[in-house]
Amino acid sequence: MTPSNWFKILIALIVGTVLGLIYGWIIEPVEYIDVTPNILREDYRADYVLMVAEAHQSEQDSETTARRLAIFGSESPEQIVASTLEFAIKNNFTQNEINLLQGLLTAMQTYQPQAINAP
Amino acid sequence: MRLFLRNATLHLILALLTGLGLGLAYSWVISPVTYVDANPAILRADFKDQYRVVIAASYASTHDLARARARLELLSDTDPIGELSAQAQRMVGTGESFERVQPLAQLATDLQQGIVSVPVTSTPFASTPFIAVINTPTLETPFIEEATPTVTSEFTELTFAPTSSFEQTPLVPQTIFTPTLRPTLTSVPVQGKPFTLVGQDTVCDPGLQPGLLQFTLMDARRRQVSGIEIIVTWAEGEDHFFTGFKPELGNGYADFIMQADTIYSVRVVEGGAFVSNISAPSCTDSNGVDYTGGLLLTFQQP
Repeated sequence: MTPSNWFKILIALIVGTVLGLIYGWIIEPVEYIDVTPNILREDYRADYVLMVAEAHQSEQDSETTARRLAIFGSESPEQIVASTLEFAIKNNFTQNEINLLQGLLTAMQTYQPQAINAP
Repeated sequence: MRLFLRNATLHLILALLTGLGLGLAYSWVISPVTYVDANPAILRADFKDQYRVVIAASYASTHDLARARARLELLSDTDPIGELSAQAQRMVGTGESFERVQPLAQLATDLQQGIVSVPVTSTPFASTPFIAVINTPTLETPFIEEATPTVTSEFTELTFAPTSSFEQTPLVPQTIFTPTLRPTLTSVPVQGKPFTLVGQDTVCDPGLQPGLLQFTLMDARRRQVSGIEIIVTWAEGEDHFFTGFKPELGNGYADFIMQADTIYSVRVVEGGAFVSNISAPSCTDSNGVDYTGGLLLTFQQP
């Protein structure tokens, strides 16, 4: 086989690879189902945290509230609420919603997980 | 020469296919598209359940039905009300407390009816003030389901008990303004008034499940009441359940399957109505064949 033929084969290989990548990344990318909440878009995350704040307003149960916020993974409840509050202020949430988030932030800053009594 | 060309073409096609395979393997397996901006519709089922719980808890606090509906739509359930009811029943089945399940059932009921209601509260703040002032003078109890044919405003003033674990600045009382179109008249179930048995009807319908014991609980104005606990006991055990988990059959509806030849007693926890010696009746179909029928018990507040 001549060098020019090898060159053609290499070009075909590259073209095939590029086509495969285009198909796999753009035309028919992997479809995700059953995802975890930590990859929710930021506005959905903010709305979820706002719901938790609304519920906390009447329940005043920091344990339940912290558990609901733990859905987002390794971040602490305080960090989650703080970043949501920042998002809410930047995105012109209503004053009532911001107040709710501030109240929740205060609650999470002072929240102490219940210790398990040692035997 | 022809053989050479054929071989060269073959080599090119093979190289192209190999490249295609490598490209697909890389894009689907080694480095697939990474989602960073997912929407709630593709959450795993257990996280969707958690999302619904939070939507219902938020609704229980704000009574903003339109917002709760919009939030449920994010989950792209084909039947959001059915999903709420099914989840409430699953939670009851797994032994969750009534306090955790009730907001889901209440939201399902309100979505079904299209009106905002303030449920019987069994929160830890039952003894703290929860003052709902609606623009009618008919307030008697903390359980208010208001409906007038006009757009009305609703002011709810909330005060909270401080937590015991730390000092916290008291939250400013919130004023919630919820303009809501209310198509029917007021339903004001009076908490604490006893439900009494006003009807015990044999139901002979071969289409129903054999031994189906159906309950309908109504307030004094004959409007069905959700969230009322019923206890059915028999010699070997007992079962607890609540009205309103099947809103498609009525907000005051609940049911239970009786076994033939077993005697049951029924107690409505709210008010303590007690009915003993309940058993599945025997019915006869059009061909003269006997089968196990059902019962419909109707309770009403005076």
